[in-house]
Amino acid sequence: MPDNSSKRVLIIDDAALVRAYYRAALEAHGFVVGEALNGLEGLEKLLLEPFDLVIADINMPQMDGITFLRTLRSKELPVSSIPVLVTSTEAGPHDIAAARGAGANYYLVKPIKQETLAEYAAIFCGRPR
Amino acid sequence: MTDPPQMTEDEFRRLAEFLYRRTGMVFTESKRYYVERRVWERIDATSSPSFSVYFAHLRSEVRDEVEQLINAFTVNETYFYREDHQLACLTTDLLRERVATKRPGDPIRIWSAPCSTGEEPYSIAIWLLENWKDVDTYDIEIVGSDIDTCVLEAAAVGIFGKRALMRLSPEVIARYFHALDDERWQILDDLRQSVRFTRVNLIETKETRPQGRFDVIFCRNVLIYFDDESRRIAAENLYDNLLPGGFICLGHTESMSRISPLFEVCRYSEAIVYRRPEELRRAR
Amino acid sequence: MFTALAKIATPESASVALPYLRSEDAALRTQALDALRAMPAVAAEHLSQLLDDSDPDVRLLACEIARALPTGDASRVLGELIEKETNSNVCSAAIEILAETGDVASLPILARCAARFPNDPFLTFAVKTASGRIGSSER
Repeated sequence: MPDNSSKRVLIIDDAALVRAYYRAALEAHGFVVGEALNGLEGLEKLLLEPFDLVIADINMPQMDGITFLRTLRSKELPVSSIPVLVTSTEAGPHDIAAARGAGANYYLVKPIKQETLAEYAAIFCGRPR
Repeated sequence: MTDPPQMTEDEFRRLAEFLYRRTGMVFTESKRYYVERRVWERIDATSSPSFSVYFAHLRSEVRDEVEQLINAFTVNETYFYREDHQLACLTTDLLRERVATKRPGDPIRIWSAPCSTGEEPYSIAIWLLENWKDVDTYDIEIVGSDIDTCVLEAAAVGIFGKRALMRLSPEVIARYFHALDDERWQILDDLRQSVRFTRVNLIETKETRPQGRFDVIFCRNVLIYFDDESRRIAAENLYDNLLPGGFICLGHTESMSRISPLFEVCRYSEAIVYRRPEELRRAR
Repeated sequence: MFTALAKIATPESASVALPYLRSEDAALRTQALDALRAMPAVAAEHLSQLLDDSDPDVRLLACEIARALPTGDASRVLGELIEKETNSNVCSAAIEILAETGDVASLPILARCAARFPNDPFLTFAVKTASGRIGSSER
């Protein structure tokens, strides 16, 4: 198993079970995991602690994933260029284009296999297997 | 009284997830015993026959049960220089930004809401006098507001006991208070008169609007207790009471992420602070 | 605008917010859902219609509105949804809420759902976790 122990991933999703599912997948591959329940909390966490990757859902209360991305990318801070992997139940070209336009690095359609998530996390953290 | 019955891990997780969603407070496994005791106190107080019944009661937000439970987890004492890292942020960062476009003599308005018995607005006044070199350059107005007229009356009188002053150095106490006796100190008249106290319900726009617009608002440890709808209304009112580019500080366990998307989030020296966006310049 | 609607909380204001659930703009969907969440009594009147919508994305967002119902009602309504739901993501959204509100009656419904979608790894995980949460509370 590759050493991901120094890599930190922030999961932003308003569903507790989804966060638990991703956490299990990422921790099994040695990642350190943080959580946020919506885009605004995600921004706060990113401002307070260092992360290597963000996995963000689209539909969340208070601040959705697209608004989160736009806000993050528009701040002139080092953290603004962190890789963001967007997850969504929506698979239409419009949704994917919206995410890309807002600054997403990649887009995965739910449901996502745990192995797949861990694989992409490793790639975006710079450690492909 | 015997030890409280233990919560199962799943009951604990259910509750922890609910509280995290509702308030942003995180309860990890390590806090389980601490949480259990307080939950069983509430189960007792509500005469609930089981955790399940209590949890359904909690979810229904009936008779402020969420407030009661959160109260059990938070320390609600008020005292001078409470959360002083925010006061430090005020002078180091927030006021610096605010005065960037002000001229000497321009007003700076700071709101402490709720102000309770006055510790917070007086702390702000004292902190500025002690720590801000430009305290005489601008026309500083500090307003303290609360829904409770009794605490406002006490605040206007300005008499405090030992516990309220525990974070202040003897020098600061000597400079800004006079001792009435061994147990009580009163804020000096000059300082007392420099803070204006008004009765305001944060959820009532017709009461908040007349307070005008502020450069900085301290709204600590009150929004967390409101239900979703009230929190949102209060946040909109507070937004209206901020000048464009003005700042609002919440309590350290609170976050706008559970309240409203209106504000920008900023980080300054270890503190998260929220800001009303600057207005875009209009072409003339 | 959406907060003003929530303050008014009439059937009319719910009707104004509802179409935005279908919006292609994620921000509008979020604001509409937040507004509806803030007026639970009024939103509840539209719930069965929303849970029956032909668009699975709408049904999914509607599950969140059910969260605000009293515990027993939420479990019943979402249980009924799951039994006839063909979209696994919508089921997963309902299961997420049942983990919070569910009771013993929910358990067989969850089990049947997992059997219908054996190839959805998240749904399988969600049913297992939610069942665990529910099972232990019944003492």
